[in-house]
Amino acid sequence: MTQLRPDMFDEAAVRLDGVSLRYDSTEEILSGIDLVLKPGSFSFLTGASGAGKSSLLKLLYLAQPPSQGEVSLFGRPTSRLSRDELSAMRRRVGVVFQEFRLLNHLTAYENVALPLRVMGRKESQYRRDVEELLRWVGLGERLHKRPETLSGGEQQRVAIARAVVTQPNLLIADEPTGNVDPDMAARLMRLFYELNKRLGTTVVIATHDLGLIRQIDAPVYRLADGMLVQENGEVAPTARRRTDPLRAMP
Amino acid sequence: MKPRENSLLPLEDAREAALFFVVGALCFLAALAALSAKSTYGAARAWTAEVEGEYTVSLSGADATAADEAARLLAGLDGVITARAFSDAEINALLEPNFGKSGLPADLPVPRLIAVTGAADAEDLGARISIALHDAGHSAAVDAHAEWAGDVRHMLSISRIAALSIVALLSATAIAVIAFATHAALLARRDIVDVLHVAGAKDRFIAGLFERRFWLLGLRAGTVGALVALASVAILIALGRSGAERSGLLPQLSLDFPDLAVLVVTPVIAGLAARIAAGITVMRSLRSVM
Ligand SMILES: Nc1ncnc2c1ncn2[C@@H]1O[C@H](COP(=O)(O)OP(=O)(O)OP(=O)(O)O)[C@@H](O)[C@H]1O
Ligand SMILES: [Mg+2]
Repeated sequence: MTQLRPDMFDEAAVRLDGVSLRYDSTEEILSGIDLVLKPGSFSFLTGASGAGKSSLLKLLYLAQPPSQGEVSLFGRPTSRLSRDELSAMRRRVGVVFQEFRLLNHLTAYENVALPLRVMGRKESQYRRDVEELLRWVGLGERLHKRPETLSGGEQQRVAIARAVVTQPNLLIADEPTGNVDPDMAARLMRLFYELNKRLGTTVVIATHDLGLIRQIDAPVYRLADGMLVQENGEVAPTARRRTDPLRAMP
Repeated sequence: MKPRENSLLPLEDAREAALFFVVGALCFLAALAALSAKSTYGAARAWTAEVEGEYTVSLSGADATAADEAARLLAGLDGVITARAFSDAEINALLEPNFGKSGLPADLPVPRLIAVTGAADAEDLGARISIALHDAGHSAAVDAHAEWAGDVRHMLSISRIAALSIVALLSATAIAVIAFATHAALLARRDIVDVLHVAGAKDRFIAGLFERRFWLLGLRAGTVGALVALASVAILIALGRSGAERSGLLPQLSLDFPDLAVLVVTPVIAGLAARIAAGITVMRSLRSVM
């Protein structure tokens, strides 16, 4: 089951060193963020709407380079990787997008199988796993439906299944339970929790949902004013203060 | 059963149908230009080859016997292949459009005509014919068709250059528009590119999917365009034939090598243009992400 690799013990799964992000040359969305997530850890990321949660996650799933600083995954600074190495690293990361990003011309089953196909797996090898996973998230009857014919919650579950189907080393979920009822939310949280406990998957979940956060005893990081603060009120040990005094005003 | 491997891209959408039409229409125009350039070329060649080495000799104040005698004399000249005096019937037929069926007044002096075909490489044949007839006491005028064929040839070479320029211009435009339309169709497929990218697909893998898709699209649209162009030319020529009796001057339509080449080359160029444009567009949009 759990593959034991040296990097699970020696290296951080995620490491941000002085990471800043600004999209256009306007204001900084993220400012000098430092963060270390150990392999096999489970963390929540929270913050007001527009605080930059999705932006921070984008850095983690390697869809966006930071304006400053370094993002390292599994012990490797990503700025020094070739494009092919970045692709290989992305295969170790599962992503649930806030807006799902399912492909409408594919069925639920095909959407979930997509990362496996990208990895070059044969359908005969993955077919049963994919079907079982979809049944597990309650979509056993919807395997061959297209996303646009599914409800928001159903689409969300397809997106989650697609993110976990490869048993990634790092799972990044952006508001993964925003469209489902509390029972389904609890069920999906259990899926993340099981992946974390059984396979040692490092999990990062961005959410506003305090109920969700309370279900699992895990560190909570809060983004505010471009800085990352641990939820107990302390500034995360390695985080730096912003230098812009106006930003510190209430 | 569910669709398998090639379904990473959608089968086809309205945007691609529009692209198909654009590529097909441009290939039609380019192929049409190429085919007509080729026909012009072929017709001009046939035409000038036909009149090359042709002479018409008119003898004034001669009767049929004298004309036959002159023809025999000419047939013996170096470089002459055939020399034949026109019969009364032939001369009347030539004059009929001007004088009507009733024929000519018997006493009207009509020059006798001798058609001479010379070898293409015979030198100064026109002058030598003149001299030979003059020495034999005939009063003759020699009309070398090649003299006005030269003008025709000059005209034709100009129109040939024009046709080739049009082919070149249309092909370049077609390639540019195909590239541009492919680019536009792909920007709308950005969602697929992004999802595959985040799932860890290599740049080449993603570009390859789109390259195959657009190569096939270009190839199919180009084939349709080229076939329609070929059919149009065939119809035009058939119409021209049925309307004109002197069809010898019209371009011949047969499925010869240049036609086949146009039929094959047009779709391949369209396919390549679409494929290269797709590859460049996808690679460029991937480079811009991370
Ligand atoms: N691609 C982009 N280009 C420019 N600005 C962007 C881009 N994406 C996000 N932003 C801006 O960055 C800020 C943070 O956005 P982000 O989506 O990260 O917030 P969030 O915390 O995820 O919000 P929410 O809880 O509503 O999802 C916002 O002001 C947003 O307008
Ligand atoms: Mg967000």
